[in-house]
Amino acid sequence: MIKGNGISHLFKAALTDFKRNKLRTILTSLGIMIGVLSVVMLIALGLGLKNYIQEQFEGLGANLIIIMPGAGFGGDGGGFGPAGIISGTEFDEKDVNNLKRISEIKYAVPLVFQSTNVESGANKESSYIMGVNEDYFDLMNAEAAEGALFTKTEAQSRTKIAVLGYTIAEKLFEVPDNAIGKTIRFENQRFKVIGVIEKTGDNEQDRSIIIPYKSTFGSINPDKTFWSIYLGVESEDNVEMAKQKAEDTLLKRYGEDDFSVTEQSEILSTIDQIFAVINGFLIAIGSISLIVGGIGIMNIMFASVTERTKEIGIRRAVGATEKDILYQFLTESVMLSAFGGIVGLLLSIVIVLIIRRFFPASINALAVILALGISSAIGIFFGVFPARRASKLPPIEAIRYE
Amino acid sequence: MIKLQKVSKYYYLGEEEVKAVCDVSLQIKPKEYVSILGSSGSGKSTLMYLIGLLEHPTSGKILLDGKDVSKLSDEELSHIRNSYVGFVFQSFNLINRFSVLENVLLPVKYTKGNIDFNPQERADNLLKKFGIYDRKDFFPNKISGGQQQRVAIVRALMMKPKIILADEPTGNLDSKTGDEILDIMESLNKDFGVTVILVTHEKLVADRTNRKIYIKDGKISDKYL
Repeated sequence: MIKGNGISHLFKAALTDFKRNKLRTILTSLGIMIGVLSVVMLIALGLGLKNYIQEQFEGLGANLIIIMPGAGFGGDGGGFGPAGIISGTEFDEKDVNNLKRISEIKYAVPLVFQSTNVESGANKESSYIMGVNEDYFDLMNAEAAEGALFTKTEAQSRTKIAVLGYTIAEKLFEVPDNAIGKTIRFENQRFKVIGVIEKTGDNEQDRSIIIPYKSTFGSINPDKTFWSIYLGVESEDNVEMAKQKAEDTLLKRYGEDDFSVTEQSEILSTIDQIFAVINGFLIAIGSISLIVGGIGIMNIMFASVTERTKEIGIRRAVGATEKDILYQFLTESVMLSAFGGIVGLLLSIVIVLIIRRFFPASINALAVILALGISSAIGIFFGVFPARRASKLPPIEAIRYE
Repeated sequence: MIKLQKVSKYYYLGEEEVKAVCDVSLQIKPKEYVSILGSSGSGKSTLMYLIGLLEHPTSGKILLDGKDVSKLSDEELSHIRNSYVGFVFQSFNLINRFSVLENVLLPVKYTKGNIDFNPQERADNLLKKFGIYDRKDFFPNKISGGQQQRVAIVRALMMKPKIILADEPTGNLDSKTGDEILDIMESLNKDFGVTVILVTHEKLVADRTNRKIYIKDGKISDKYL
């Protein structure tokens, strides 16, 4: 075996060699560096996307139940089934009224949702129409930044009034305050802006035009149906009960597969499941470059063994065992890939810190452990073959090698 | 001290069996100064590497101080090579990436037991003794052949070996420098009390040793042909 100080001596020897061959060292570890960078970045972006989507749903407020046509979220498949959103039934005012009668349910909000282009004067912006009732603002904890929100009476009266999301108000009127009292046009209709709600951070929400659902009846929504119904429950303890009752209510009119009732926590856990798969997939893709990097190291180590055949012979002659030679080359390949791994990790931390300003990407312990663990493992795995070849060289042939 | 009993070493070159060393029995006593003399391809180098434990015999026994070493593991053999044997080669075999001093200290890295000397001091003293101390930070390709061979000799002496095995140590040197190296070989035997085995094809070189072992076609022969 190697001596007690053997390990540090191996590291020192490898370091000295790397210093003599700086360019080769850097180029060799570049593969691992890129591999680790891509794995860590993909994990960071995957986590970021998950955080982003989770925040969007959490922004909807707690104690929320979402009723959607078809399988919706969750369900047996645990995913956004392709058939789920398109097929199934469409809800109408009667459903909303029936659901409102459930004692645990405080708010019942019908939702008409459609993307559109909105104009004001010469400005034209893409936006979303959200036809809802007055409970929507309470459900979303939305407050008026400027002007006022529409009331129950207004919501029931087909009045052509609109409350703007903060971003769309800025885009159309520069200062949200200017929007109040102005007229906007979309879908060949004119609406008067009565208020702007505070910025929520949810891009879709902030770009929306919120109008009384009844004012969509007509050319926007001729069937008078709803895309979805949001229910707000008074207290968290009653969510399960409310969900059950809502299901029972809807079953009176629709078949079991025509609609889905999902509470927010279910959506969040579905998102978790989806992203576990997506992250696994991303790691698998990133790992390909790690393997390529490992093969690069193996290639260089094989070249290095050939180049140093005579040296191996000399070392054997002065008393190096097969193991000594094995460890010498193994140390080099592990250090090369660990070096690549550490630099790749540091680079990805820097990149993540930069993109965090725009996107909630994050590096977790798993990514760090994975990066360092895998890069060292690759160093060992791809280093073993060249190192074994070096250690098994017959000393005589090695010494005579020119 | 060293005893070979019916030692053979065969190689395979493709399908063909090459009998490099064939049924060789010989004995070398402590502190002897002997030469193994033979022409190119006679098997003299193979014989030397067998004695130096860099080769395993195909058959036969090698006894070192009465102990059979022909069946030892790589680890044990390496340990014996490290502490017991010093090699000097025709082409010096220094590692060019290492300085003279680093080359000289190389065997110390592979010692498994305790050493009773300070490696740095011993290296300095030996380098001084052989007149190459001022070259200790040079790289081998920046010094002359004679100096390189002296470095190789210092490296071979580093671990206080009992045996020095020299394979054509003057082969790559001019006659004057070669003579100087042979003087050193002689003094290793006389002054350091080391067994020196000199492998050569030159009768004149072999004549300087106290005993000549002739080898021809892998066998011990009565005289040099």
